[in-house]
Amino acid sequence: MKWNIRYRETWLHQTNPSLKLIVLLFLFLAVLFIHNPNVLINFSLALLLLFMFSTGYPWKFLLLLFLPFLLIFVSTASSMMMFGEGETTWFRWGLIHVTEESFLRGLHIGFRALSFALLGLLFSLTTRPVRLFYSLMQQLKLKPKYAYSFLAAVRLLPIMLEEFQTVHNALKVRGTVSHGWLEKMKRYAIPLLSQSIRRAQRIAVAMEAKRFSSSTERTFYYEIGFNKHDIALVALFAFVAAAAYYTGVHYPYIPVTDVR
Amino acid sequence: MKPIAAVERLRLKFPGKDTLLFKDLSLTFYEGEKVLLLGPSGCGKSTLLQVLSGLIPNSIDVPMKAERLQLPTNWGYVFQDPDTQFCMPFADEEIAFALENIGVPRSEMHQRIKTLLEKVGLFIEPHTDIHTLSGGMKQRLALASVLALEPDVLFLDEPTAMIDEEGTKEIWQTVKRIAKEKTVIIVEHKIDYVLDFVDRIVLFNDDGEIIADDKAQTVFANYKDIIASQGIWYPGVWEEYTANRRRRSTESGGEKRIYLRQFQGYRSNEVKIRIEEAAVHAGEWIAVTGKNGAGKSTLLHALMKLIRTDGTYELYGKDSKQLKQLHRLLAFVFQNPEFQFVTNSVREELAYSLRLEKRKEAEITETVEGLLRQFHLYEQQDQHPYQLSMGQKRRLSVAASIVSGQQIFLLDEPTFGQDAKNTFALLELLESYRRQGTTIIMVTHDENIVKHFATRRWVIEDGRLVKDESISRQRSTAAALFV
Repeated sequence: MKWNIRYRETWLHQTNPSLKLIVLLFLFLAVLFIHNPNVLINFSLALLLLFMFSTGYPWKFLLLLFLPFLLIFVSTASSMMMFGEGETTWFRWGLIHVTEESFLRGLHIGFRALSFALLGLLFSLTTRPVRLFYSLMQQLKLKPKYAYSFLAAVRLLPIMLEEFQTVHNALKVRGTVSHGWLEKMKRYAIPLLSQSIRRAQRIAVAMEAKRFSSSTERTFYYEIGFNKHDIALVALFAFVAAAAYYTGVHYPYIPVTDVR
Repeated sequence: MKPIAAVERLRLKFPGKDTLLFKDLSLTFYEGEKVLLLGPSGCGKSTLLQVLSGLIPNSIDVPMKAERLQLPTNWGYVFQDPDTQFCMPFADEEIAFALENIGVPRSEMHQRIKTLLEKVGLFIEPHTDIHTLSGGMKQRLALASVLALEPDVLFLDEPTAMIDEEGTKEIWQTVKRIAKEKTVIIVEHKIDYVLDFVDRIVLFNDDGEIIADDKAQTVFANYKDIIASQGIWYPGVWEEYTANRRRRSTESGGEKRIYLRQFQGYRSNEVKIRIEEAAVHAGEWIAVTGKNGAGKSTLLHALMKLIRTDGTYELYGKDSKQLKQLHRLLAFVFQNPEFQFVTNSVREELAYSLRLEKRKEAEITETVEGLLRQFHLYEQQDQHPYQLSMGQKRRLSVAASIVSGQQIFLLDEPTFGQDAKNTFALLELLESYRRQGTTIIMVTHDENIVKHFATRRWVIEDGRLVKDESISRQRSTAAALFV
């Protein structure tokens, strides 16, 4: 099976993962406090541009990845639009009641969900777990014990997916018909978990057999510092935030400044 | 000679077991020695390696007591399972992990990684995804990352148990090359390539007691019967086995069971296996051979329709598209038996498919009892499948697959990782089915199985069936059939 999608390294890959994490987490929080839909729409569009042009993945893959999040956008937005409260009625049919207020609020929440998704995608698409954890150890003083445990776990994921396929086939050749999700869960979970627990224990022993311990001073294969791309990252997001705010306030699409 | 590792009056007990695994075991290893620990599975050889390395009790919590323990300070440990030795995704990062642990400066790492990979004969780009390596290559990578620790003592815990013949050979060639100066303590069940490397053998019995401890050749010569009865793969085991065996009839030519024409199997929209034309009859035992990744397992998956297929595929003269329940005609046995178990006891496991088919209770009991006896699982019938030994698990997975009375068996390396005794027992069972007309299609890497059990061989290369030869007539006229 193919697990590695070919991608081009972009400048976002070369930024410091810890810094990127902090910047994106900060933006995450900031988005919560944007109440002007114009600003939020601008911000989301900027993120979308970054997602399309700066992650270095092929178009087809990006599109495929974006689909579920588009669905989340549509579903959160539409449910708020149809069932939210408001006074200026546009349309009413049974339980569905669309008002101007609920429409704008729905739109706002939809874009908020979208920008959350894009921030998450931007981070995960441009950060290799190995670099992230090396950076966390070096810049944020994360204990190696936790960092390497996570990395070992990441390695187990593709193995588990393959095993899932095997269990699926094995059940098929025995003629199994599972009724209900509980039974299905049990059929898959027990063999998969029992193998994973055993594997995890063996990996832990193997790591200690290679003299992995928290007491000794360790060196690092990857030294992750800061470079010009980090300055670019901070500058870019500062600019994007400022520009989104400025254009949102002065050239609004919608004549509403606060959806609350 | 200077002692480098020793235990005196070691006592050790696994939690939940009634008996001690070791009772007052004493053993000393000397500098530069190459020692092989032999014994039946479950006698505690691997546990002893873990005690000698200090993994027990430091990493694995097992209660133990010893009057005196001398542990080496610089050691390396290679484990059995190639997939559970690594914590990093890429080869260079994995070796670097070991280097980091002992505080090697970053500037030296690249050069050292390169040298280590060359030392174990891995001529790959250092930044290679470990997932793409073969089992044998993974084990040599494990060896490289262990060598990064610059050990004086190497513990090798069945490093080739899950590796095919070719990989096994490469691993031992590598060990011989790199470990001349080191002390090497080995646990292994396949000793063909090890015997000329070790100079001392310690032989254990079922109770974890030492029954022999001497020069390798002496132990091997004097205790051969015991070694054979423990199921160890030693040189000449096949010759001895076949010498005592009745001549087998390789006649086939019963009814036509499978017919394939321009048959193709797909994985993610790519043709991964193609067969121009082939017919398979009753009483045939087809060995499917070929390199790793050639498409052998894919062929079995295609026949079982676990993947998308097209072309002509007829079973008993009927188009397979019209046959809904393929699992009633074809029995499929996977490489790892544990994935196949779906119930909580051996007895239920055997009854499972019969219950699904809603057969009568009396008939189910009769069939299950018969299989329990035939596959030597009667004593274990109430145990959980996971609690069985390797050999028992394998027999159960075969028995449970064929319980519905299918006449065609598809087996994916069923003897993989099995000891000699269990392998012969399983092959005998399959042969008895073949003699009664069952068709067997089996993926294998073992030339001896091809030679002594198969009636026909299919060679797969790059997803194509490139050679189809009859084994029975091989001595007189090597007949290559339609390819």
